[in-house]
Amino acid sequence: MRALRSRVIPSSSAETPIKKSEQSTEIDTAAPASDGVEVVGTPSQSSVPAPDSGAPRSASVMPQPRRSLRLASAASRRGGGASAEGLPLPLKSCPWKGVGSGEGASPCEGEKVEAFTLGRRGGMSDRQNIGKRKLEDDASLIDSKGSKSLRSRKSVTKRAAHSDAENLVNAFDIEENQWIMLSKITDLDGGDTENREKGSCNDEVGSFRSRKILRREDKGKDKIGDNEVIGLGAESSGSKPGGIGDQPKYGAEEIGKAKIVCDNMLSDCSSVIDLDMEINNLRQKSESIGQEFLNVAVAQRKSHRVKAVGESSSSDIIRRNFRNIARRSASRFAHFNPDDEGGNNSQVKAERNASAAPRPADPEPEDWPGPFSTAMKIIRDRGTNVSTLQSNSFFNKWKSPIIWAPRRDRHTQAKRLIPSLLELCLNVLAANANAITSLDGVPDMPRHKLSQLLCDSRKMNKHFFDLLVGGSPTEIRVKDSSWLTEEELSESFKRCDTRNIMVLQLDQCGRCLPDYAISSISCSASCFPALSTISITGACRLTDDGLATLISSAPSLRSINISQCSLLTASSIVTLANKVGSLLRELYIDDCQSIDAMLILPALKRLENLQVLSVAGISSVSDDFVVEFVAQLGHNLRELVLSDCTNLTDASIKTIAEVCPGLLALNLVNLTKLTDSAVGYLANGCQALEKLILCRNTFSDEGIAAFLEASGELLQELSLNNVKKVSTDTAISLAKKSRKLQSLDLSWCRNMTDEAFGLIVDSCSCLKELKVFGCTQITDTFLNGHSNAEVKIVGLKMAPLLEHCRVLIPDNPLKY
Amino acid sequence: MRKEDTVKLISAEGFEFVIDKRAAMVSQTIRNMLTSPGSFAETQLGEVRFPEISTTILEKICQYFYWSLQYASGKETEFHIEPELTLELMMAANYLHT
Repeated sequence: MRALRSRVIPSSSAETPIKKSEQSTEIDTAAPASDGVEVVGTPSQSSVPAPDSGAPRSASVMPQPRRSLRLASAASRRGGGASAEGLPLPLKSCPWKGVGSGEGASPCEGEKVEAFTLGRRGGMSDRQNIGKRKLEDDASLIDSKGSKSLRSRKSVTKRAAHSDAENLVNAFDIEENQWIMLSKITDLDGGDTENREKGSCNDEVGSFRSRKILRREDKGKDKIGDNEVIGLGAESSGSKPGGIGDQPKYGAEEIGKAKIVCDNMLSDCSSVIDLDMEINNLRQKSESIGQEFLNVAVAQRKSHRVKAVGESSSSDIIRRNFRNIARRSASRFAHFNPDDEGGNNSQVKAERNASAAPRPADPEPEDWPGPFSTAMKIIRDRGTNVSTLQSNSFFNKWKSPIIWAPRRDRHTQAKRLIPSLLELCLNVLAANANAITSLDGVPDMPRHKLSQLLCDSRKMNKHFFDLLVGGSPTEIRVKDSSWLTEEELSESFKRCDTRNIMVLQLDQCGRCLPDYAISSISCSASCFPALSTISITGACRLTDDGLATLISSAPSLRSINISQCSLLTASSIVTLANKVGSLLRELYIDDCQSIDAMLILPALKRLENLQVLSVAGISSVSDDFVVEFVAQLGHNLRELVLSDCTNLTDASIKTIAEVCPGLLALNLVNLTKLTDSAVGYLANGCQALEKLILCRNTFSDEGIAAFLEASGELLQELSLNNVKKVSTDTAISLAKKSRKLQSLDLSWCRNMTDEAFGLIVDSCSCLKELKVFGCTQITDTFLNGHSNAEVKIVGLKMAPLLEHCRVLIPDNPLKY
Repeated sequence: MRKEDTVKLISAEGFEFVIDKRAAMVSQTIRNMLTSPGSFAETQLGEVRFPEISTTILEKICQYFYWSLQYASGKETEFHIEPELTLELMMAANYLHT
C-alpha cells in the first residue's frame, strides 16, 4: 500500500471543476497518520455540497489526500478499534464495531468497507476507516454494506438515490478522468439527501472518493471510477453511506474486489458488485462506464422503491456472506488477472444488480449453479488458465487461442454457384412479365417468387396484379403495393373469386387502402371464408372502423399483420379480440404509434392461442407490459419480437425465460438496457430457442459464449450484429455447440479474427449464410481458406449489393 | 454409354430421352427417385415417366442438365431460354427441384 502513496497526484487543476476540492486539498497535505482524522474532516466540511445538487459537486479531490487519508485512517482505525487494518487481508474479518456500529451496518468479515460506510455515517473515526478502506483490500468493497447481496450471488440492486444517480451521470459526462469521476462520486455522497445528517461524513467520503480517483488514475483503471460511481449511487440511496463505494481499489487486487457495496445497511438492496467482476472493472472503458452509470442511475431510481424492503437482513447472514465472498475472492487479490477482457462483467454485474430489481421485490439470486452460471465459470476458467500461463500483460485479447489453419485448395468453391433452372426461368419471366397471359396452373411458390422479383425491380403493375388476382387464387402476395391505386384495386378485385383465398398480402398499401376502399375488396361480410393470413402493413389511411369491416369479412382469421398502420388505436385490438380472439395465432403491430401497450393488455390477454407477437418500435412497451402479458400467454408463445422497445430491462427477460419454455424465436434488437443477466436467464429458461436476433446489445463475450454453451444447440439463426464485445470465447462456443446454425450475422464484431471466423465456418456445417458487414479485419486468409462450400459470405467488398435483403417466402400461411 | 450409367426420361407424349445418370442427378426429384431404398420401378428399370411434362420442355430440361455439369466443371456459358417455353419450363423446373 505504500506504493500507492507514491502515486502521482493529479494536478489540482483537474479538480477545479469540482468545487470544494481546494479545501480538501489542503487538508490532504496535512500530515498523515495522526492528522488523518483532521485531514479527513476538513475536506468533508468543505466538500459538503448542497443536497441533491444535480451539478457535480466539486469533489474534494485531493491528490495527496489519499495518502494522508490512508495513513490517517490506518491510524485512526487502530485507534478507533476498528479492525480495519487495511493493508492486508481482505479476509480479515474485522468487526467494525467501532466504526459502523452506529449505522448498524453489519460488519462484513474482514470487510474494511464497512468501516468506510460507517465512516460516512458519521463519526470521525469513520473517516479514518474510510481512508483505510480505500487503501486496502478490495474485499472491503464487497458489500460491506452488509447487504445480503453478497455473494450469495444475489444481485443486489443498488439503492438508487436520485440525486446520486444524477451525480453519477454527471460524473460520466466529464469523461474518463477517473478522478474527476471520483470527485463526482464524492459529490454524490454529498448530495445524498439521505445522508444529510451525516453531512460531515459525506465530506469525508467525498474526499475519499476523490482520493480514489487519484489513485485510479495512477492505475489507469477506468473501472475503478466506475465502481466507485456505482458504489456511490448505492450509497446515496440508502441512509447508510456507502463508504465502500468510495473505496476504489486501485490495484489489481482492488479491482478484483471491486464490489461496490451500496448501502446495504439500510436495506437489502444494496448493490454488490461481484468480486468476479472486479477484474473486469479495470478493463472497462469509460464509455461503458458511462453507460453503466446511466443504467445505475436508472436502477437506483428503481431500487429506491425497493430499498425499504430490505431492512430485514440479519447481520449474521450478512457477515457470513461477506466472509464467504471474501474467502472466495482471496485468490483473486493475489494476482492480477489481465484476462477477462470481456471486462464488462463488473459493470455488467452492477448493471444487472441495478436493473434486476425494477420491481419491488427482492432481486432474484442468480440461478446458482444453473447451466448458465456453470458455463460462465467454465469460460472464465478457460481464459484464466491461458492467462496465467502468459505474462502479466494488461491487455490480453487472446483469451484462449484458436487453432485454425486455412485450407490450401479451393476446388470446392465453384459448386454452389450454379444457377438453378427455376431461377433462370423466373428471371426471364420477370423480364417479360407483360407478355405473360395467364398464371393458371402455376403453383403458389413460383407465383410468389415472381411477384417478389417484380416488386423488387419496380416492374410490378396492374397487368401482373390482375394475373395474380384472377381466377380463384389461394394466395396473393404483393410485397410492395405502393404503385397500386384505389381504382385499380377495386377493379382487380371485382374479377377475383375470393372463396379460396387463404393468404392475402398487400404490404405498403397506404395509397390504396383507406377506409372506404375496404368495401371494394371485402364486398360482403364473410367474403373471405378461407382467409387465414392477412398482411396490410403500411395502411396509413386505415382507421379502426375500416379494420373492423375487414376483420368481419374474415371469420377464420389466424394471422394479422397491421404494422406501420399509424391510425389504428387500441380499439382495433379489442375488435380483434372480440371477433377472432381464440383463433388468432399471430399478431404483428410493429410501429403502430397510436396503440398504447398498456391499454391493449386486457384485449391481448384474450387472445388465448397467440403464438407470435411482434411489438417492435412501440415505445410504451415496458417491463410491466411484458411481465403481465407473458404471465398470461407465455406458455403458448413461440415468437416474440421486442426490438426497439428500449424501456425493457432484465426483468422482462427474466419473466420471459421463466414462463415461455417453448419460445423459438426472440428478437431483442436495440435493447441496450439488457445486461448479461438477461442472457443468463435466457440460457437457463429458453432452451428451445432457434432464432435469436441481437443488435446493439451490450452483452459481454463471455455472456454470449456461456449462453451458447448452455442453450445454443438448437439455434438455427443467430444475429450478433454490433454486439461488439463478441470475440474468441463466442467463436469457440459457436464452433462447439451450434451445429444446426444456418444463418449467422457477425457484422461489426471487430474483435473476431480470421481464425475465429474460420473456426466457426468450418465447424458449423449447416451454415448457409454469414453476414460480416463492417468486419474490415477479415482478410483473404479466411475468405480463401475456409472449407465450407455451402456458405455465402455477405457484406464484404465484392459481395452483391442487397443480397442480404432477401426475403424468404414462407411456404405456409402460418409460421408455426 | 453403358446401360448402368444412363437413365431414361419419358415425356407425356412418350418420347424417351436417354441421358447420363450424373446429369439426371442434377434434379433433386430424380435423384431421390433413383436412390430411394426399396424396389420402385424407377430404380429397377432405370426409367422415369413424366406424364405432365411435354416433350419440348423435357428436352430443354435435359439440355439444362448437361449445361449444369459443364458449368460446374468451369466452363461458364449462358443458358438461353425461349420466352414461349419459360412459363412451362418454370413449372417443370419447380416440380423437378432443379
